[in-house]
Amino acid sequence: MATQHRPFAQGRSWTSFTLPVILIGASFAVGLAALLPLVQSSGVTTTGGHIRQLEQERSTWQTQLQEQEVRVAQLGSLERIEREARERLKMVPPKEVHHISVDVPGPAPNRIPSRFLEDQPASPLARDNLWEEIASWLPLP
Amino acid sequence: MAAPRKKNAYAWRIWAVIAVIGLGAVVATLRLVQLQIIDHAEYAAQARRSHISQVSVSDRRGALLDRNGYPLAASEDSFNVMVERRAWENPEEAQVAANKISGATGVPASQMVDIVESVDVFEVPVARNLSFEQAEKVRELDLYGVRLLEGSKRVYPEGNLASQLLGFVGQDSGGLTGLEADLNPQLGGAAGTLTFERDGLGRELAIGERSESPALPGSDIVLTIDRYIQRLAEQELDKIMKDRSAQGGTIIVVQPKTGQVLAMASRPTFDLSKPDTSDETKQALYRNRAITDTYEPGSVFKLFTTAAALDLGLVSPTTPWNDSGVVKVDGWSIRNWDFSANGTQTVQQLLSKSLNTGAAWLAGLCGPDRFYDYVRRFGFGTLTNSGLSGEVEGKVRTPESDPGWRSVDAATNSFGQGLSATPLQMAMALAAIANGGTLMQPQFVKQIMGPTGTETVEPLVATQVTTPETARTLLDMMGVVVDGMSNYLDVSGYKVGGKSGTANITGENGGYKPGAYISSFAGIAPLNDPQLAILIKVDEPKDVPWGTVVAAPSFGRIAEQALAYMKIPPTEPVLVRGVQ
Repeated sequence: MATQHRPFAQGRSWTSFTLPVILIGASFAVGLAALLPLVQSSGVTTTGGHIRQLEQERSTWQTQLQEQEVRVAQLGSLERIEREARERLKMVPPKEVHHISVDVPGPAPNRIPSRFLEDQPASPLARDNLWEEIASWLPLP
Repeated sequence: MAAPRKKNAYAWRIWAVIAVIGLGAVVATLRLVQLQIIDHAEYAAQARRSHISQVSVSDRRGALLDRNGYPLAASEDSFNVMVERRAWENPEEAQVAANKISGATGVPASQMVDIVESVDVFEVPVARNLSFEQAEKVRELDLYGVRLLEGSKRVYPEGNLASQLLGFVGQDSGGLTGLEADLNPQLGGAAGTLTFERDGLGRELAIGERSESPALPGSDIVLTIDRYIQRLAEQELDKIMKDRSAQGGTIIVVQPKTGQVLAMASRPTFDLSKPDTSDETKQALYRNRAITDTYEPGSVFKLFTTAAALDLGLVSPTTPWNDSGVVKVDGWSIRNWDFSANGTQTVQQLLSKSLNTGAAWLAGLCGPDRFYDYVRRFGFGTLTNSGLSGEVEGKVRTPESDPGWRSVDAATNSFGQGLSATPLQMAMALAAIANGGTLMQPQFVKQIMGPTGTETVEPLVATQVTTPETARTLLDMMGVVVDGMSNYLDVSGYKVGGKSGTANITGENGGYKPGAYISSFAGIAPLNDPQLAILIKVDEPKDVPWGTVVAAPSFGRIAEQALAYMKIPPTEPVLVRGVQ
């Protein structure tokens, strides 16, 4: 009799533990599901705030870019160029003009403001060859 | 038996209370139905209005660029410091805050305090047009009742260059005069709308509802003006004003083949960065005299009389004619400017010596109908369609338009008196001679570069006035005229042509002002392939009135420098050196 089995008692124990666990688990799941919209909303709000911050940063950069473009234009004004030439570089108007014809066109001026200009295609970066690139990783002098 | 009676006695009271509560519940329910279902839209809109703000937003105003893309007028963001009056009610606190703002902006603290104390409004600007850097310093101060209002200010990198042509904008960034006003729809762009949720103080909620209909930025407009040639013209005007103590003047430089105006300068002028619209006495400075003011062109007009006679085949440069020194028309005597009688002269000599009698003779040969037909076709008496507001037509009296017209009018008109024209009309007519007899419409806008693309403005032909052969003949005659001016005009390396003029000025009572003249010179360079048509007009120079002396030297200096700048090779080969 010492080795009597109690299959019923084991089965009862399984059901008596499982049902509350399932119920508690389900409650947690429902609770978590209820939190999900909150998490989503929080995420959206955070992302929105981040976008707004980036927009603000972009606006700030654009303002500074405008200021720099105006500054460049002021530095390139004819009045300033002449003043610098006369006062700082001590240049004087030429007494004799020599005309020299060359068949190479001059560089086009960089147009500013640049906001409506077409984007220039990015020139490919000059890359070292593969072995030089690998060698550059080594701690060599 | 008493207990059941008592129970019944209370029962109706309970039912009465229940009924009252029930009725109240029904009323409340009905009211809720009314508020939340029937009138839902109205109340929802009211609620939305109370916490949603909608403001108009605008993008940056477009820039005015010269023909090579250099900015003549551009906009940059600026900031105004706004102060709530109630925040500065305490004088000591106001002074402390003002001192801090003063440190960041440079605006005197006392001035800011005075501004706030002197007005009775909720909020007032105490410092205007701050740069981004200054604004950041103010923002970092984080002062109570102080905020930054973003705006825009117009800047002129080339200073006051072409001030009357460009014009200026008002405080709302709208164009008031000049091209700023005429091109305002393109420069200003289109306003957008920003909708956002606000808090009780009207500030935008960081996590609230937000939507934006973006503003359309203004287009950048590339003008036909060349800043280098414009500056040359303005420097020459300033020199003439100083050397000749003149009252004013105008210089216009036109590219003959296209009608594009390369320079348009007038004096007196004004400071573009500080236009004072409240001062009535300064209003006259803001108008573009090249299109709003007319003058009697004087002897320069003989070019067009000669062109008419040449084009009609009535004369050639060598056609002889006898100058007796006086021409009688309608009982009036017309004499030469120097009262000379030159005997037998050619048409070329008529132009070189600028003989009034000869011009009257040519007009007589043409006859009034044909003479005025050419005058009209050269663009006199009609608008040039420049697109600039304020332009006037000038005055040309003809037998059809004026019953009081007499033959002597055609005679005086032939040498540029008794009619009036704007400097722009004169410059365009001159450019027509340089352009093979084709009159172009004056062009000021070359390209419009906007957010939706770039529009290129093409030159427009107004009319064919003379044959190319007539125009060529006249150019050669103008070259001979200039050959006789070598003391005053020498453009080394280039063959140029022109004609001077000295005209009386009409006074207020209709007669001529005694001792007051307009000196002018109309020139073309180079003659072999005209690239520049230049009109120089000087108002009331002192001491010497002659166009040859006053205006022609300026033409020479402008032409010489402009041709070199435009890389037009000289026609004299000794000055040219080639590089392989």
